[in-house]
Amino acid sequence: MPPLLGSTPPDSYPQILRSILPPLGCFLVSRGVPQRLHFVRNKALTIDFDGRPIRAFEGESIAAALHVAGQPVWGRSLKYHRPRGLFCMDGHCSGCLVRIDGVPNLRACMQPCRDGSRVESQNSFPSVETDLMAAVDFLFAKGMNHHTLMTGSSLLNKATQRVVRHLSGLGELPNSIADTVEKSTMLACDVLVIGGGPAGLQAAIAASRPDSKIVLVDEGLALGGSLRTDPRYGTDFVRDLLDQARSCGVTLLSQTTAIAHFCENDDPVDPEQTIVTDSKRLTRIVAKATVHATGSYAQNIAFENNDRPGVIAMRAAGRLLLDYQIRPAQSICLVGHSDASDALRTTLIDVGCDVYQVDPTKERIVASKGHSSVSAAIVQDIDSELQREIPCQLIVIATTPSPASELARQQGAATYFSADGGGFAVQADARGHSTVRGVFACGDVCGYVGPKRAMQAGQHAGRSAADYAEGQ
Amino acid sequence: MMTSKTMLCRCEDVSVSDVHKAWEAGYCTIEEIKRYTGFGTGTCQGKECLALIASTLVQLGTPADAVQAFTTRSPLAPTPLKFFAADRRDDDK
Repeated sequence: MPPLLGSTPPDSYPQILRSILPPLGCFLVSRGVPQRLHFVRNKALTIDFDGRPIRAFEGESIAAALHVAGQPVWGRSLKYHRPRGLFCMDGHCSGCLVRIDGVPNLRACMQPCRDGSRVESQNSFPSVETDLMAAVDFLFAKGMNHHTLMTGSSLLNKATQRVVRHLSGLGELPNSIADTVEKSTMLACDVLVIGGGPAGLQAAIAASRPDSKIVLVDEGLALGGSLRTDPRYGTDFVRDLLDQARSCGVTLLSQTTAIAHFCENDDPVDPEQTIVTDSKRLTRIVAKATVHATGSYAQNIAFENNDRPGVIAMRAAGRLLLDYQIRPAQSICLVGHSDASDALRTTLIDVGCDVYQVDPTKERIVASKGHSSVSAAIVQDIDSELQREIPCQLIVIATTPSPASELARQQGAATYFSADGGGFAVQADARGHSTVRGVFACGDVCGYVGPKRAMQAGQHAGRSAADYAEGQ
Repeated sequence: MMTSKTMLCRCEDVSVSDVHKAWEAGYCTIEEIKRYTGFGTGTCQGKECLALIASTLVQLGTPADAVQAFTTRSPLAPTPLKFFAADRRDDDK
């Protein structure tokens, strides 16, 4: 492993590394966990986590700052009060809910750091590390079957319910009444593209025609979706795509989430609309054609204590590394095998991580070990069934992501269960037509295909959607 | 410290053994298992667990083409209620 020493990254480094390591200020990376890769950063700021000051930089999410500060536990789970923290780093798993400046249940990975922000862990007493309520986990070591928890006495039932309601639930009410919100707005366009990853960006570019209005909405803190987590592409690649989209006149709405699709009042005059929200308001979008390029959700796999903080998705490791330039940990156990995981493994090794790859043809992971965060992975040899311990600080899961088909399903598009595609995939033909007229789908939402094929599918679906919109 | 559990749904703490128990109790479709165990009803609304539970059903013997996703409910992502309060239209009284 070459030390990252010197003023410029050597030419032998992959392009992606040379782009993330700055020309000057490339320092010797000490062997610590986890760590920011260089010091040429945005403005430094301080956030507060449960009374402890944490150094962060402008542009980092709360999740990235807490992770690099070595704070693995951010909250406790609903039922057994098991520790919760970072998993997908993509706003989907909801494992990272925290209270920020008096507002409960915010996803730490979707909230940018602001100087002086007060971040609090949730669902624990007296502290998130030592939560007395975690006793439930031990009292119900074999699991709690709530169907058999009823008592015979109605009086006792009432009393129990009061206690249980007090103990469970998510967070506490906000400190103050919500700020004034802006009234919702309407937006009309020819083609609405949902998702700003590989498929969506290409679809929006391909759909643009003179005098047509193309709107792209994307939920992430920054546009680019999975491209920003994949060392084969990365942030430079995204920047070029975004430049292209802007020069085509595409309206790019970042940090804007599509939350629903419906036809109000069942009135044919009242058109179907997609509801999106940003941090300020709700917008009803009426589009002649809709392209679903919502991509896929990083998934976990089933093994003992797979919910322990320190078990993270491959895309989360990729995002830490590429988007935030943070080395995720010193020693990493990589579970699963794909082209994307190979690329990530190489990049992790390049920045000085020790990576143990669990070879799926020879062994499988059976458990995570540790206390409130991972200290080792237990792997089992498939033939001999012998188990051994791989010491590590992170277990990175590289399994097939699952299609994000909810919105397409709301719009009536048919889906089917595809084991190879990672879950419920939207049925679409090669040109992106779903089973509903005017509704198109491309990329991972039609079953996981990875960024390269998603971009090709995006181009086809974008053209089909533009053709359809033109005919309306 | 944590006891040994294999979680399929982290929002609602639904484990593999919960799904097996539901299966043994005769709940064999995703909608039924959702209602029995509560999986998919937490903050992620099934984004993390739906496919994993569908695969578990396939492992238990359900044919893949018979596995149906549950109905999706809006909002699809955590949304502050204040936005809906501000969504009064002019003709609303």
